[in-house]
Amino acid sequence: MVSGEPVESGAGDRGSADVAALIPLVRRIVASRVPDPATADDLVQETLTRVLAAAGRVEPGLLEPYAIVTARNTVASMWRDQDRQRRHQHRVVDLRPPQAPDEDVLAREDRTAVAEALTRLSDRERTTLLAHEVSGQDTRSLAAELGSTAGAVAAQLNRTRARLRVEYLLVSERAEPPTERCRPVLLAISGGDRRRQREVDAARHMLECDLCARLSEPLMGRGRSRDDAVRVAVRTDADVVAARQAAREVATRLGFSATDVTLIATAVSEMTRNIVRFADSGEVVVAELQEPRTGISIVARDAGPGIPDVEQALQDGYSTYRGLGLGLPGARRLMDEFAVVSEIGRGTTVTMTRWRGEA
Amino acid sequence: MNDGPRLFSILRQGPYLIASVHTALDDSQLVRFQNDLVERIGSDRARGVVIDVAALDVLDSFASRTLRDMAEMARLRGAVTVIVGIQPDVAFAMVQLGMDTGRVVTALDLEEGLAELDRGARDPTAQRP
Ligand SMILES: [Zn+2]
Repeated sequence: MVSGEPVESGAGDRGSADVAALIPLVRRIVASRVPDPATADDLVQETLTRVLAAAGRVEPGLLEPYAIVTARNTVASMWRDQDRQRRHQHRVVDLRPPQAPDEDVLAREDRTAVAEALTRLSDRERTTLLAHEVSGQDTRSLAAELGSTAGAVAAQLNRTRARLRVEYLLVSERAEPPTERCRPVLLAISGGDRRRQREVDAARHMLECDLCARLSEPLMGRGRSRDDAVRVAVRTDADVVAARQAAREVATRLGFSATDVTLIATAVSEMTRNIVRFADSGEVVVAELQEPRTGISIVARDAGPGIPDVEQALQDGYSTYRGLGLGLPGARRLMDEFAVVSEIGRGTTVTMTRWRGEA
Repeated sequence: MNDGPRLFSILRQGPYLIASVHTALDDSQLVRFQNDLVERIGSDRARGVVIDVAALDVLDSFASRTLRDMAEMARLRGAVTVIVGIQPDVAFAMVQLGMDTGRVVTALDLEEGLAELDRGARDPTAQRP
């Protein structure tokens, strides 16, 4: 039983409408595994945020299975974290060495996994990828060498990266795909290729195959590394400034133009202010995106009263200065992608993305 | 909220006030800026105000509105306002956001702002037929 009507924005954003329709399903899955309602709410929001982030990259039929496996993964990783915390509790009093030995081992394992994954590419794929990524050779000069066009080389590079991500995950999970279908499915997901996803029936496979269900999330996260995300807890006016400065730093590091950096910071300022005004607290998460190209993703999330009519709040001129959903139309104009999911009495999540122009 | 160091200054220069923002301000600091300035216009009997916002990182909906309100309150107290130092990037974002500074006069920098006031700053409201 879902209390409160899920509301979503749509206009020009198919994904977010579809995601809102998934709220009852996600809530049911989480509630059946997590007894504490507050924790369940958090996990539902977290799941929806992830699904929303992937919505543009999956064929419509895949969205529901993806929501299902993501909800399960999110719950599972919460249990894992709690377990890890329990096991390490006695260590809290220890003085941590300046560099935890674990980190070193992890970095080394990671390098080994990348190296191993690279050997699974064809010679041509590997040479081209390394020439581009490591030696910095641009697609035009690569195209000249290969007797191809820059566009074709760029597309080939994208496919190679998609393959590398799949192989890297398989190596680091030490997993051998249990079926013939696995690799094609994982590739279609990794490449964000909706037509291929339909052809290989990725939706059905993901529900049947544990491995692919588990790997789908890191693959769909658009290469998002959670460690790269900057989190700003939001409670007061000062946090609005902190959030937009965090976004400014990440955007600058990603090579956005000064104009774009200011546009992004302005949008973040608008959405963070909403949290301070209308919810007690919330958070803003700024993450870098590498797939399908370089971009910045900002999630502004609160557990406030929710926006009664998102569609209307997105209309220009609606928002009186005191209204919930204030500044949504303006912020939306500043970003390339903009999606709102709001549930009355439960909170609002705004996801916005801006892609970097080709330099 | 309104204690803590002032992140702006308000200086007198002849019949004018020069109000400068020193760094990014949050909403409560902006409100404090507005209150202090309006008070000073009264106590100093200023005829003109230059507000220098070059140090503001963004002019979002709240900041734009506050600047507009400040100019309007100054006008009611008999002072003309010129806003200076809006960076090109910031101006571009304001337009995209759908905000503007309303009828407030803007100028490139402090010198031009003062020159504008000396010219008797065409009070935009005085241009009505
Ligand atoms: Zn599989």
